[in-house]
Amino acid sequence: MDETAQPLARARTWVVMPAFHEAQVIRRSVTELRTQFPNVVVVDDGSHDATAEEALAGGAVVVRHPLNLGQGAALQTGIQFALARGADFIATFDADGQHHVEDLVALLEVLEREPLDIVLGSRFAGRAEGLSLARRVFLKAAVLFTNLTTGVRLTDAHNGLRVMTAAAARRIEIRQDQMAHASELVAQIGRLGLRFKEVPVTITYSPYSVQKGQRLSNGFRILSDLVAGWLLR
Amino acid sequence: MMIQVFLSALLAVVAAMIGLQRTTSRLVRLSVLVVIAVGAYFVWDPERSTLLAESLGVGRGADLVLYLWVVLTLALIVFLYLKIVRLSRKLTQLTRAVALAHPQTPDNAGESS
Repeated sequence: MDETAQPLARARTWVVMPAFHEAQVIRRSVTELRTQFPNVVVVDDGSHDATAEEALAGGAVVVRHPLNLGQGAALQTGIQFALARGADFIATFDADGQHHVEDLVALLEVLEREPLDIVLGSRFAGRAEGLSLARRVFLKAAVLFTNLTTGVRLTDAHNGLRVMTAAAARRIEIRQDQMAHASELVAQIGRLGLRFKEVPVTITYSPYSVQKGQRLSNGFRILSDLVAGWLLR
Repeated sequence: MMIQVFLSALLAVVAAMIGLQRTTSRLVRLSVLVVIAVGAYFVWDPERSTLLAESLGVGRGADLVLYLWVVLTLALIVFLYLKIVRLSRKLTQLTRAVALAHPQTPDNAGESS
């Protein structure tokens, strides 16, 4: 890709940022993201703090869930918003500062250059800074579980940094409102036969992101959500 | 004698509640009323329930009732669980529709739509 094509692709991209009680960090996350990507939609998932105001101050468009539904529901809302705005590419990016804008630029370049439907960030192909042993074991177990149940082989099934084409986004439907959405997304990639690729990214675990992140015990909750999803598919 | 009267009164109250409300389907109401009628019959004729139980390979009528109760309760829990999941999906759709109807941009911040 030549120099001029890059910013054009970024202008045609909408970045979806789900957020719940992220008032402390979201303005900075949005501002950094907007140095490269002009279109950012923050889905405020029923926060009671100033998440929405901070996101607006950072220059994002904000849609607000009147109730807290969960990250999966927020992602689906953001994807539908982006499609309605005519996005050609749709990215997902965490609000807590664990992702890096350069990584999203790299993911988008891969999606543009190669015949793919979705490009996924992988912290295990890349670097995971400040990752505890317990969290590493938990995430690896989740990867193993997802690979076994979906038939899609990934090194990191639960990374919030991804970018997909609008065509792929229209076919994907996240129905798992809470954290089981990551496994569900991988399952849909397999079922829909989407062309995917993993690209190494750096995840920076700060005390803030770890405290905001998944408790390890949530694994059981995710499992029961997935079982309910299968029963009701 | 005391326990028969007490149980029959309770069953009559439940039957009245089921029979008078109109929110569940006629089939469900009828099924519940049949179960209540059978229960009331066995309250007054427990030997009959023991005969039925023995023909099914269960020792006592009370045990048969207990086993059936456990199975029905488990089925009910699964049914209610799936119903809750379906309800929460509807709630998600509604919440999403509300959210998408009122996007806020940095330009119109402070306005309601």
